[in-house]
Amino acid sequence: MTNFMIVPPWFLGYNIILEAIFALVTLIVSRYAFKIHRLTEQRQLRLFGTAFLAISISYFIQSFLNLAILSNLTEKICHMVKAENINTLNLIGIYTYVIFFSFGLLMLFYMTLKIKDIRIFSFLLIVVLSAIFVSINVLFMFYLISSIILLSVCLHYLKNYLDKKQPKTLLVLVAFVFLLFGRVHFIFALNHGTYYVIGHILEFGAYGLILINLLRVLSKNEQKTR
Amino acid sequence: MSKKRDRLQIIHDILKAIASRNGRIKPTHILYRSNISHQMLEDYLKEMMAKGFITEHVLGQGKTYSLAPKGFEYLNKYKLIIEFTESFGLNEDDE
Repeated sequence: MTNFMIVPPWFLGYNIILEAIFALVTLIVSRYAFKIHRLTEQRQLRLFGTAFLAISISYFIQSFLNLAILSNLTEKICHMVKAENINTLNLIGIYTYVIFFSFGLLMLFYMTLKIKDIRIFSFLLIVVLSAIFVSINVLFMFYLISSIILLSVCLHYLKNYLDKKQPKTLLVLVAFVFLLFGRVHFIFALNHGTYYVIGHILEFGAYGLILINLLRVLSKNEQKTR
Repeated sequence: MSKKRDRLQIIHDILKAIASRNGRIKPTHILYRSNISHQMLEDYLKEMMAKGFITEHVLGQGKTYSLAPKGFEYLNKYKLIIEFTESFGLNEDDE
């Protein structure tokens, strides 16, 4: 079973910082989604907030795991959780990351379907996680499936852009297209370290655009209340 | 052809109609100002009371509605709500 990606040595450390930034941006977006949900009680906002919260947790886990690998924290943590060795801890970390990210992405996909039946979401989650975990190459299958789901989410944002044709909807569409390309690069990162770096840069661009959009939204509200 | 209004906009229009009458209004006046069907208005008023946006006052001759604090907050933050939901594609069509 292959569960590791090739990371260029010079990029170690940068990946941890980037993943921590992704975790923070997604957490902020999730916080605002829940804040607006409290006011409107719209189902879509609750699903969107939950999706971004799960994605945020997955990035925090990934960032912490990479930090643990880089530093000598790993042995101490292994001792604490009574894991047999460092490899087991890494696997637990990767699997937890995969579960949270898949949950978040599927929640986003489920939101775009506009179906009010949680059984469909549960079914999709079981099918996706089963397909990932019975695969010989867990990470390959995870990045492949998440790319397919992201493609569908991108189509939703393309439709949203075509319906409204506004800069803000274009910004979010481009952000999700960047995320999709980032995921696709991670598929190839299992064999080539360069793709791992490109994947992170694309994701950095994606979350940067999402943050810019959020700041635009907040600044417009401030202009109105002034 | 006019664009479809989503739920958030209809709620905003109803709240705005209530706010325009110094905070108290009869259902018929809401109907004129919010431009929706009678049945839809009934459903929206029920939903908005349950969510704490408005308060119903039963008088001898009929009912009036006033804004609750959450309704005022909704009106104040409407721009933020719309910008956020539109940009992230979170609209729920209703009309």
